[in-house]
Amino acid sequence: MTSILTADAVGKAYGTGSNRLPIIKGLTLSVEPGEFVSLVGPSGCGKTTLLMCLAGLLAPSEGEVRFKGQRVTDPPIGLSVVFQDYSRSLLPWKTNLDNILFGMRRVTGMDKAAKRDRAMEILSAVGLTGFDGHYPWQVSGGMQQRVAIARGIAAQSELLLLDEPLAAVDAQTRADMQDLLLDLAARFNQTCLLVTHDVEEAVYMADRVLVLGPRPTHVVREIEVDLPKPRDQLATREHPAFLHARHEVLALIRSMRQRTVAA
Amino acid sequence: MNAALQFAERFRVPLCLLLVFGIWQAVHLAGVVPEKFFPSMPEIVGAFWRMLSDGTVITAWVTTFLRALIGLIAAASLGIALAILSDLSPVLSRGIRYVSDILQPIPPAAFVPMAVFMLGLGTKLYAFVIILVTVWPPYLNGVTALQAVSPVQVNTGRMFGLSRSQILWQVRLPAALPEIFTGIRYAATISLIAVIVSEMLAGRDGIGFMIYKKVYAMRSSDVFALMFLVACSGVLLNGLVALLRRALTGWHMRMMERPE
Ligand SMILES: Nc1ncnc2c1ncn2[C@@H]1O[C@H](COP(=O)(O)OP(=O)(O)OP(=O)(O)O)[C@@H](O)[C@H]1O
Ligand SMILES: [Mg+2]
Repeated sequence: MTSILTADAVGKAYGTGSNRLPIIKGLTLSVEPGEFVSLVGPSGCGKTTLLMCLAGLLAPSEGEVRFKGQRVTDPPIGLSVVFQDYSRSLLPWKTNLDNILFGMRRVTGMDKAAKRDRAMEILSAVGLTGFDGHYPWQVSGGMQQRVAIARGIAAQSELLLLDEPLAAVDAQTRADMQDLLLDLAARFNQTCLLVTHDVEEAVYMADRVLVLGPRPTHVVREIEVDLPKPRDQLATREHPAFLHARHEVLALIRSMRQRTVAA
Repeated sequence: MNAALQFAERFRVPLCLLLVFGIWQAVHLAGVVPEKFFPSMPEIVGAFWRMLSDGTVITAWVTTFLRALIGLIAAASLGIALAILSDLSPVLSRGIRYVSDILQPIPPAAFVPMAVFMLGLGTKLYAFVIILVTVWPPYLNGVTALQAVSPVQVNTGRMFGLSRSQILWQVRLPAALPEIFTGIRYAATISLIAVIVSEMLAGRDGIGFMIYKKVYAMRSSDVFALMFLVACSGVLLNGLVALLRRALTGWHMRMMERPE
């Protein structure tokens, strides 16, 4: 099977000369079609920077990124980012529906009416039936997030890069959103790369967890999560494999933190 | 209490007018200013009525208002165009910034004598003076607002395959428009001032010229009547800007008005 996304020895530094700040160094990863991969890493280690490089929104200083075998230089069709700052990524002068249609401008093989139908279908899939005519600022933060996810999927996406999409919501909504995301990924055949700082969430959602090290960051360890699907908020979280994976990630993060503090 | 407030809110324009009339009349009756220079309200209204019935004031007003309006439209368009060009070229941006730093503090009146020598006493004079003083607020707001557009919005556009120019037209300009309109609103006031001043100093027609003539003829009630007319023209010009603003950036106004 060929990977849908690969990063090969990617490096990224901001600034030049004495202001040069290396953020990513020698980072290699690959994502297989249909997989759900979680990325965890310390705050400020460069997760957002990495997603920007993977999405073709930022040029890496070293190494290369490939999406479906093609080298990524500009944002490719079939890859959508759900930005960390999702409320700002929705255009406030467009309604929710028009925001989604805006994301569908590169979609081929559909006329206007078909695009509209598709957008409405995805809106209802994220539980926003009846909110198509609202503006993003007229709905709650959680709803805005779902519009952003719907827009990502609607853009004929195969790979979703999700940047801490659930960081700002309360615990109950968070659990619901996790299940919704898993559901959407399966229903719309989305391969997902999810950035999160919540270790339990990372394990609960994923087939594989990648742990990033401190800056300049790279993948420190890769942990397979062997848990039955569909996931269940109660059963999955009590499963021995869940506890085992969670333990491994937490122990690794703790040892990295101790090393950083010592250094 | 609440009902009174609601009433005041609803009829605020006529109420304000009534208030101005009342204070004016009180000052007049108190006799602190010689009657010759401070005519009573009925006299002013009478003067206005006389000028209205002999037709002079209507042609003068149309001339002046059209100058202000056309000047404003031209200046706003030019300001936005320059802001876009500045956005594309940092060198040009710096160049225009120097020019604006020098020209902006100069009051409109100071341009008129120079313009008379350069351009004579015609339409070109008005165009020059109005545009030179009115172009800056839309331009400066435009430059700032285009720069301030959130990188997340720009990245969103790039992610969906928009080119640089598409991002400018479909993302950055709509995002900057509310702030540009704040500049245009300010420019509307300046535009009217510039027209009146130009007409007073170098004009052969228009309300400014009429005021100038009446001042020399010591027709104080006529002068005050014309001044009220200018004030109303300002309100009308602002109203037109507000209308366009609501049509183009209504989303922003509603977003700002919404209860938290
Ligand atoms: N445009 C930029 N120029 C210079 N430095 C930057 C820039 N963007 C981010 N940085 C720095 O790079 C580092 C990594 O930032 P990034 O946003 O990628 O981290 P993150 O892991 O996503 O953080 P968080 O957990 O807060 O989301 C930070 O120290 C940040 O200050
Ligand atoms: Mg981040």
